[in-house]
Amino acid sequence: MARMKFLCDADRCIECNACVTACKNEHEVPWGINRRRVVTINDGKPGERSVSMACMHCTDAPCAAVCPVSCFYTTADAVVLHSKDLCIGCGYCFYACPFGAPQYPRVGNFGSRGKMDKCTYCAGGPEDDFSTAEYEKYGRNRLAEGKLPLCAEMCSTKSLLAGDGDIIASIYKERVMKRGYGSGAWGWKTAYKETVSV
Amino acid sequence: MKTWLKTFLAMLALAFVASAPVAAQNNNFNPTKESVKEEQLLNSLKPGERLTGRISIPDEKAASLIQPGGQEWRAFHQQKLPFIGGVAILGMLALLAVFFLVRGRIRVEGGFSGKTITRFASLDRFTHWLTASCFIILALSGLNISFGRMVILPWLGAETFASLTALGKLAHNYLAFPFMFGIALMFVIWVRDNIPEKIDLEWIKQGGGIFSKGAHPPAKRFNAGQKLIFWIVMGGGVVMSGSGWFLLFPYLAQNGVSDMQFYTTIHALLAVIFIAVMLAHIYIGTLGMEGAFDAMGTGEVDLNWAKEHHGLWVEEVQAKAKAASVAPGAMPAE
Amino acid sequence: MLTKRRDAVSGRARLQGIAAGLASGVLDRRSFLRRSGLAAGGVAALGGLTLGSVRKAEAGPVVANFKIDRKKNICTHCSVGCSVIAEVQNGVWVGQEPAWESPINRGSHCAKGASVRELVHGDRRLKYPMKLVNGEWTRVSWDVAINEITAKMGEIRDKSGADSVYLLGSAKFSNEGAYLFRKFAAFWGTNSVDHQARICHSTTVAGVANTWGYGAQTNSYNDIRNSKTIIFMGSNAAEAHPVSLQHVLTGKETNRANMIVLDPRFTRTAAHATEYVRFRSGTDIAVIWGMLHHIFANGWEDKTFIQQRVYGMDQIRAEVAKWTPEEVERVTGIPGAQLKKIAETFAKERPSTFIWCMGGTQHTVGTANVRAYCNLLLATGNVGVYGGGANIFRGHCNVQGATDFGLDITNLPLYYGLVEGAWRHWARVWDVPYDYFVSRFDEVPAKAGRPARTRKENMETPGIPSTRWFDATSFAADDVDQRDVLKAMIIFGHGGNTVPRMPDMVKALEKLELLVVADPHPTTFAAISGRKNGTYLLPICTQFETSGSRTASNRSVQWGEQVVKPIFESKDDYEVVYRFAQKLGFAEAMFKNIKVENNRPVPEDILREINRGGWSTGYTGQSPERLKAHMRNQDKFDLVTLRAKADTPEVGGDYYGLPWPCWGKPEIRHPGTHTLYNTNLHVKDGGGTFRARFGVVYPEKQPDGSTKDVNLLSEGSYTLGSELTDGYPEFTYGVLKKLGWDKDLTQDEVATITRIGGGNPDAVGWAIDLSGGIIRVCLEHGAIPYGNGKARAVAWNLPDPVPVHREPIYTPRADLAEKYPTRPDGRQFRMMNAGLTVQKTAIEKGVAKDFPIILTSGRLVEYEGGGEETRSNKWLAELQQDMFVEINPADAAARGISDGGWVWVTGPENQSKARMKALVTERVGKGVAFMPFHFAGWFQGVDQRGNYPKGTDPIVLGESVNTITTYGYDPVTGMHEGKVTLCQIKAA
Repeated sequence: MARMKFLCDADRCIECNACVTACKNEHEVPWGINRRRVVTINDGKPGERSVSMACMHCTDAPCAAVCPVSCFYTTADAVVLHSKDLCIGCGYCFYACPFGAPQYPRVGNFGSRGKMDKCTYCAGGPEDDFSTAEYEKYGRNRLAEGKLPLCAEMCSTKSLLAGDGDIIASIYKERVMKRGYGSGAWGWKTAYKETVSV
Repeated sequence: MKTWLKTFLAMLALAFVASAPVAAQNNNFNPTKESVKEEQLLNSLKPGERLTGRISIPDEKAASLIQPGGQEWRAFHQQKLPFIGGVAILGMLALLAVFFLVRGRIRVEGGFSGKTITRFASLDRFTHWLTASCFIILALSGLNISFGRMVILPWLGAETFASLTALGKLAHNYLAFPFMFGIALMFVIWVRDNIPEKIDLEWIKQGGGIFSKGAHPPAKRFNAGQKLIFWIVMGGGVVMSGSGWFLLFPYLAQNGVSDMQFYTTIHALLAVIFIAVMLAHIYIGTLGMEGAFDAMGTGEVDLNWAKEHHGLWVEEVQAKAKAASVAPGAMPAE
Repeated sequence: MLTKRRDAVSGRARLQGIAAGLASGVLDRRSFLRRSGLAAGGVAALGGLTLGSVRKAEAGPVVANFKIDRKKNICTHCSVGCSVIAEVQNGVWVGQEPAWESPINRGSHCAKGASVRELVHGDRRLKYPMKLVNGEWTRVSWDVAINEITAKMGEIRDKSGADSVYLLGSAKFSNEGAYLFRKFAAFWGTNSVDHQARICHSTTVAGVANTWGYGAQTNSYNDIRNSKTIIFMGSNAAEAHPVSLQHVLTGKETNRANMIVLDPRFTRTAAHATEYVRFRSGTDIAVIWGMLHHIFANGWEDKTFIQQRVYGMDQIRAEVAKWTPEEVERVTGIPGAQLKKIAETFAKERPSTFIWCMGGTQHTVGTANVRAYCNLLLATGNVGVYGGGANIFRGHCNVQGATDFGLDITNLPLYYGLVEGAWRHWARVWDVPYDYFVSRFDEVPAKAGRPARTRKENMETPGIPSTRWFDATSFAADDVDQRDVLKAMIIFGHGGNTVPRMPDMVKALEKLELLVVADPHPTTFAAISGRKNGTYLLPICTQFETSGSRTASNRSVQWGEQVVKPIFESKDDYEVVYRFAQKLGFAEAMFKNIKVENNRPVPEDILREINRGGWSTGYTGQSPERLKAHMRNQDKFDLVTLRAKADTPEVGGDYYGLPWPCWGKPEIRHPGTHTLYNTNLHVKDGGGTFRARFGVVYPEKQPDGSTKDVNLLSEGSYTLGSELTDGYPEFTYGVLKKLGWDKDLTQDEVATITRIGGGNPDAVGWAIDLSGGIIRVCLEHGAIPYGNGKARAVAWNLPDPVPVHREPIYTPRADLAEKYPTRPDGRQFRMMNAGLTVQKTAIEKGVAKDFPIILTSGRLVEYEGGGEETRSNKWLAELQQDMFVEINPADAAARGISDGGWVWVTGPENQSKARMKALVTERVGKGVAFMPFHFAGWFQGVDQRGNYPKGTDPIVLGESVNTITTYGYDPVTGMHEGKVTLCQIKAA
C-alpha cells in the first residue's frame, strides 16, 4: 500500500485558492469550514511565499494521539480519518494539530463546536464506500474510486502534490535540482518527521 | 492643546507624504532567490510562537500555518499529565491506604455521648453538597476525558464510550456553573471561620493529632487542616473556573490556539492535584474518622466528637447557647 | 504530475459497529439540489441523543449506482480557456472532474474554475424576468417582457433614432452569441454596440493591429514554456490568469528563464519573479524608452530583423535618445542600473516575450503604451518566434471572440471596418440587400456647427464607447454627435461597476427611458440607481447551460457542450436575441440561413455562417465538426507546440483549437496558427509574415519638406517554402492574375469572384472572396493572403505616431505635466474628450495636494469583472468578504489607519467617497493605494442590498473602485484611465 502524503511546492504556489474551492465543490463543505486554505508568509515583502495547507495526514498523528474518544483511525494508505459519530467536539485535536486542520461548524458557548470536520484526503469516512451517509458526513470518496484528492488534481500550477510520499518527494526533488531553488517541503518535518533533502 | 498638537503632527506627516517624490521605492531584488525557507522560519520561532501569514478569510485561526506548540501540548497531554495525574491521584490513594492500615479509623476516643450538637446548618450542608456533587461529576468526567480512553474505552467499546464521554462533556460544561456558584457561596458563608489564626500553628505543630491517639490540638469551628482545604478549594476553584471559562467560551481567547493550550494545561494540571487533595478530604470525612461524616450528613455531630476535634468551638457554641436560652423562644441547643 | 493509486478498493481499517447512515431514496431534481443529511450513528444508538451536529450536505450528492454523464465545456471566467468536465446525473450537475486531457489546463483550475458548478446551483441567480413597477420588482413573463421592451425600443427609435438605443454586449457571449448580437445591431441600425474589450484591451487591439496586422496575442500560454526571458508589465497573471502560471513557472524552471515583473505593486506574480521592478503608475512609455535607450546605445538591437521586417525604427530611436537614464529615473522612479540590466537581459537572453494586461492598457496613453511594448519586441527581434511575442493576456473567457466578432463601435464582425466594402461583404454573407442596412441607420442633422450626416455616412461612423455611454445620456443633445442623446441601454452580460465616474453614471441611469439588463444576475445596474420604472431584468443562462464556441486568449477556439438545461426560467443569448429580432420584425432576414429550433437559433449553424464570411481573420476553417473533433481529441495535442501528430485521426497536424487565422474552407484543413508572423514555418503549417495592411509605400515627409516614398513591404524575409521570396502586397484577383496564379482557381471560384467584383473583379481581395479561392491558391504557393509587409514602429494614422510619454490626467507630478501634458482636447466618438482641460484644472486647483495618493486597481483571483457572478458564489465569496484598499504601512501610520480598520477613500471628482477596510501592506509602495475592482452593492457608504430583487443580491457587497476613479480617455479607443488616478484616505 502506498503511503499517501501532501506536498506543497511553495515556489509554484500562487495563492489562487483553487485547492480551497475544489474542496468545497467536491464535498459541499459549508461556509465557515475550510478543510484547506492558503497562507501567505511575508506578504508583500521580499521573500513572500504562499503555502496551501490542510490536514497533512501525519505519521503518528497528534490528533489521534490526543483524541479522548479515539475517533481517529489511519487507513492502509496512511490517511488519517475520523468518525463523526464518535467525535464529541472537544477541540483537543485542534489544540494538538500543528497545521490547524480540524474545523468545527461553530465556536459557540459552552464549548459547543459540533462535530469536527477536516480534510479526508478525499477518502470518505468509516461508512461504506460511496454510501449516502459517507457522502453527507465526509464528502466524496475519490480514493476508493481510484482518484487522488481534487485539491491537488486541480492545482493551477501543479504546486500541490498528492500521492505516494516517495513519488511526490522525488518529483519535488527533481524540480529543485532542475531549477536550482526550493523553499522546502512545507510541513514535512512536522508531519512526517522527515524532509525532502536535495 | 493636545488635539491641536496631534492635528499639527498629522498634517506634518501628510505634508511629508505629499511632498516626498511619489516615485517608486527601490525594490531591486530577486524574489525567486530571496524567498523565505521553511526551515529557517521554523528554527527562528521562539517557544509559543506560530508560523503565521496573511489569509483573506476573516478567521484569525486560519492565518496560522504551523504551530509547533501543538506538539508540546500533545506531549504534556500524553506524557506529563498521565504521570503527574498518576502520581498525584494514585499516590494519594496509596498514602491513604497506608495511613488507614497503620492508623486505622480514628475513633471518638470518649465514645459516643449520645448527645449531639449542630455543626452545620442546612445552608452549610447545601453549599457543601452542591459543590461536592458537582465536583465529583466534574472530576469523573474530567478524568474520563483525560484518561478514559486508556482505562474505560477498551472495556466499554468505542460507541458506548463515546456516548458516555459526550454525556460527560455535556455534564462537565453545564455543571461548571453550579460548581462555580457553590464555590462562591462557600466563600461567603465560611470565610469568616477560615481566617488563619495563631492557634492554627499549634494544631499544625501537633500534626492535627491524627498521627497519635489521644492528641487533640485545639481547634475552633475549623481546624488548620480544614482551613487549608478551604483555601485550596477556594484557590483551586477560582483557577479551575477561570481556565474553564475560556474553555467554555473559546472565542474569548485572545491568542487563539495558544491560549486554549495554556488554559487546558492549567485546567488539567490543577485538576489532578485538586482531585488528589479532595480524596484526602473525602477519606477523613468518611472512612478515616468515626463521627466525622455526620457533620455534613445530618449536620448533627456527637458532642464527644466535637469536643475532641473542635473543643474551642464547642465552648463557644455552648456559651452562646446559654446566653441565648435567656431569650424567650430560643431553641435549646441540645 | 500526480500518481494514481494502484488499488481502487480501500483497505482501510474499519471501526466496529458503526451504523450505516441514511439510505438514499428516490429524488426529484429539486430535492436533489436541496437535500439535507443528518447523522444517525452509534452515539444516537445509545440513548436517542443527537449530540452536536453533523454538517448538512446542501446540494448535489452523487447518488451511488446512478448513471453519470460527463460533459465538457470551457470555464466561463478568464481567457486561459480551461476545460471543465462536468459530471451530470439525472440532469443535475453533481461534480467536477479535472480535464487532464486539455493541453491548456491539464486538469488544473483556479479558485473560480474549481467552483463553476456553483453557478448552476444558482441560489442567487435571477430566476424569472422582472420589471420595476413604481420602484417595486415585479415578476413578468418572458412574452410580456419582450413585448414591452421591443415596443419601447420602437418608440424611442421613432422619436430619437436608432442610435439612441445602446447595445452593450458581453465577453461572456459565445462566439455565436457575440456574432448574433453584432448582427442584431446592424439590423437595428446602430454602431453603438460594444462590450468589455473597450475597458480591457481595446487599446491593445488598436495598438497591436496598427503595428503588425492583427490585434491579438501573437503566441500562446503554452508557448511561454519556450521563453528565456519573460517580462510581465502591468499584468498580475497569478491572480488574473492563474492557470497560465503553470506554463510560465514550468518554463521558468526548465529553461532557468528570467522572469521580470514591472509593476507599481508587488503582486503575487512578482513574488515568483527573478527580478521585480517597481515604477510609478502611468509611466510605461518612459520605462520602455528607457530600456530601448540602453539597447540602442549598446547595439543590442536585432539589426537584421529591423532591416527586413520593421518600418520606422529610426524615428523611435530619435525619440528614445531623449530618455536618458536620469530622465527615466526622474519620471518612473526606476534606478538606471536596474533598467539597464533588464534591458540587456531582454535583448540578449532570447527568445523573450512581453506580457501585458490592463496595467498597460487602461490609460489615456493606452494605445501608445501598447505600441511602445511592440516596439521593444520589434527592436529585439522577438516577434514571430517560438518563446517570444506579445503575449497579451485577455480578460474574460470570450473577450477575444467577442472582439473578433465585432462587438465594437468601429467594426463589423472579424475586423471588417465600417466602410462600404465591408458592409457590402457582410450583406452578401447574410444574403440581405446592402440598401436595407443603409435604411436602418439614422440621418443625423447638422448640430453645433458640425455637418449633417447621411444614413450611409452615419453607418460608417463609429459609435459611442461603453466608457462614455452615460455622457452620451447626460450631455445636451447638441453635444452628442448623433440624432439624439441615449435613451435606452440594452445590456447583455456586462457589469455596472466597471467604468470610472460612477456618480456620473448613476445620474445618467436615472435619465434613461429604458434599461434592460439581460444577465444571469441583476448586476449593479439594477441596484445602484433610484429608477422606479422602465427597467427590465431578463434571466440569461450561463454558457454551461447552452452550447457554442469560445476563443481563448491564444486564439484557440473551443466548443463547449451544454452541461445542464437552463435553470429556472433563464434562456440562452441566442434565443433572446432571436425573440427580440422577431418582435422588431427582422428575424426572418436575420436568420435566413440559420436554423431555428423552438425559437433557439442553432449555434452550429451560426458558426457555419461565420465560416462563410470570416476570411479576414481566418475564422473560416473552424467548422463545428472540426472544433468538436478537437474537444474529443484534446489529449492528442502536444503541450508545448499545441500540435497533433500528422497521423492522428480526425485532428492530424492541427494546432489545438485551430487558433485563427485558420485559412480557407474547413475542407482544406489548414491547421490554424499557433504563433502569428512566424516565418520559420510554411503558411500551410501556420507560418506567416507581418500583414501588409498599411499599403505598399508610405510617402514620408523629409526634413526639407519634400516627401519620399518609403517601402512598407518586407525585405528578404518570407515564410518557409514561399514561392515569393520578398515582400508582397495583399492578394486580389488582379494580383493573382499578375503572378499567373489565377489559373489555379476553379471555375466556381472565378464565378464567385466575378459576381462579387461586379464591374471590377480584379479588385476583389482575399478577404471578401466568398469562394475562398484566392486564399486557397495563395497557400498552395506558400504565400500568405494578407501580404508580406513590415511591422510599423510608427503608426502615422494615430495620434502620436511615435508614442510619447504623457502624464496621467490626475498626475501626482504637476512638474512633469508641464513637460509631458496629455493630448489636447478633441472630439472623438461623437463627443468631446476634454482630457487636457481636466488635467490643467486639476493642476491649477492643486488636486495632488489634497489627494496625495496614487490609486490603482486590479483583480483578485477569487472574483472576476464586475463580480456579480463570483460574489454570488458561496465558495468564492467566503474567501473575500470585504472590499478593501491596500495602503503602505508608512501612509497608514501617518493617518492612524490600522490593518483591517475602516477607512474613507475620497476622490478628486464629484466629491466621491467610499467606505472600505484598509489592508496595510508593503505590496504597494509609499504614496500608492490599490483597490480590487470587483465590488459593488455599496455606494458612497450606503449599503444597497435592499435594492436587489429579493434573493438575488450577491453574498458579498462592497464599494466599487470606480466610484473614486476619474476622467480620462484614450484618444484612439475611448479606453478609460482606470489604472491611475489620485485619492485621499482617512480612517473612518
